[in-house]
Amino acid sequence: MTTTFTEKKVMPKLQKKVKSQKRSKRIGNWILTLILLLGSIVMVIPFIWMAMTSFDWGARLTIPFPPRFWPKEFSTMTYQTAFTNIPMIKYMVNSLIVAVGVILVSLFSALFSGYAISKLKFKGSGIVLVAALSTMMIPFEVTMIPQYLLFDKMHLLDSYWAFYLPALNYAFGTFLAKAFIDQLPGTLREAAIIDGASELKVFLRVYLPLCIPILATMTILQFLAVWNDLLWPLLALQSPAKYTIQLGLAMFTYNQGTPLPSVIMAATTASLIPVIILYLFLQRFIVESIALSGIKQ
Amino acid sequence: MARRSQSSLSVEPTKLKLPKQKKKLTKKDMAGYLFSAPLIVGIVGFALYPMIAALIMSFKKSGGLLGKAWVGFQNYSYVLTDKAFWQAIYNTFYMGILSVILGVILSFILASLIYNARPRWRNFFKGIYFLPNVVSLVATSILFTFLFYPSHEGLLNYVLGWFGVKPLGWFSDPSFSRVSIVLMTLWGMLGYNTIIFLAALTSVPRDLYEAAEVDGASWFHKWWYITIPYLRSIIMFMVIIGTINGMKRFTDVWLIGGTAGNPAGTLMTGVLYIYRNGFLANQMGIATAASYILFIIILILTILMMRFNRKSNFD
Repeated sequence: MTTTFTEKKVMPKLQKKVKSQKRSKRIGNWILTLILLLGSIVMVIPFIWMAMTSFDWGARLTIPFPPRFWPKEFSTMTYQTAFTNIPMIKYMVNSLIVAVGVILVSLFSALFSGYAISKLKFKGSGIVLVAALSTMMIPFEVTMIPQYLLFDKMHLLDSYWAFYLPALNYAFGTFLAKAFIDQLPGTLREAAIIDGASELKVFLRVYLPLCIPILATMTILQFLAVWNDLLWPLLALQSPAKYTIQLGLAMFTYNQGTPLPSVIMAATTASLIPVIILYLFLQRFIVESIALSGIKQ
Repeated sequence: MARRSQSSLSVEPTKLKLPKQKKKLTKKDMAGYLFSAPLIVGIVGFALYPMIAALIMSFKKSGGLLGKAWVGFQNYSYVLTDKAFWQAIYNTFYMGILSVILGVILSFILASLIYNARPRWRNFFKGIYFLPNVVSLVATSILFTFLFYPSHEGLLNYVLGWFGVKPLGWFSDPSFSRVSIVLMTLWGMLGYNTIIFLAALTSVPRDLYEAAEVDGASWFHKWWYITIPYLRSIIMFMVIIGTINGMKRFTDVWLIGGTAGNPAGTLMTGVLYIYRNGFLANQMGIATAASYILFIIILILTILMMRFNRKSNFD
């Protein structure tokens, strides 16, 4: 548009403009990082306060004023008190047992059914898939009372069967497994069948090893769900010796008249340690699994 | 290659048997049923049966599983005329809608910010903001009862004190309790939404932005005209999931407000109402009727939102 003789004058101006744009972009980047850092502090402060207070023997009876982040009387007595008053180790072992059982049952059910729907395409497989997916629409809160009464009738309340059996219906896992196995070639199965392998052998030898990534995803999702659940343990478990960690922790704070800040913080911190360790090591994987589960839904 | 020809060969014998197959199930079908048996047992035993049993129970006199006198719609009319139930539904909606709206807006802004941060920082921020999501609701609730301590000792009240704000009641003041729960929920779920938004943001085609840049669009225009329309279905998904989860609120309100939903019943939610009637008052008929009403509310909400989403996608 403009004539060529102004080019000489324009060039330095343009350079200046590019330079200032670059600078403003850099400043913008810094401001952005700063805002995000401030937000991160807000996200993390509750954890820091919790961890620090959990070592503060001076805060065992009342919350200290002014609030402090550095323990005044640094001591592990808070943890000792928490662990003697609440059988934390027992609860955590209980939670672990429940989690492992639920993971085994639900992954078994999900993977077999996902494979059958994806590769065997048996008569009515579409119906099974639709039925499974529609059960995902039913909130647990609606079925919890009949489920409770059902286990009561079977005399399986207050036992971990109340957790293992419902794990058979891990519809979301079936969906994940089916979507994953859909991407694997079906020719593998056909070839192996022609070679005389049984369907079970084909599944176990050929497809199962290929499904490890999706199994890992399901394991993480199920572990977090079981470890953090409260409502069903609250209904299904009655004897304190069988409490899961969340139920034990909740019951202790629920029935506690006095606040006991640092002791409760110690117990809470301890209850988080397994999950936090898992998160530190598998952070990217966990985030990806949960994002995947969100998007797939 | 050799295998492929083999498999095409194998088609012929099965074709020959076709008339027989119609009556009989093939080996493949049998294997399929066997493989899906655990799932089918699970669906029938722990979804279908409880749904039907709950429906039957809701029309029967309270107590016990089946085998009690029919009472028609009595349980439903009790629930629907119970002021406490409507209060619970109101509270549930109040907290649910507020946390969904704030949660989606904040996490969307947050995701946009993280997306534009340097790659080196991006993963760090992802990790930090997501951390509360793996923490149990029990731990979160216990922690926040201390952070939101109603006197000046509470950390949040202390910080607000610097700005001359008098100590707020947070969980103990009926006019603040629901908002406090929302704040706590936001802290816990922000990371989840953000991660999903981030995944969606990376799927927006880059050339759209480049084309817009050539046309001289500002960052706001790009955000408003490209990013938001592109993410509409994800936003809708988040609203649906957030609403459903909001309708199922129990753990935090039970730990903080007790079974009465204190203070002044402001933390009474739908599920807490069900729990209270079913397991404390042993009124299973009323509780199942209430749970069916809650289920229908959730179902209607979900269908409405999906409809709305489909419609807006056609525009």
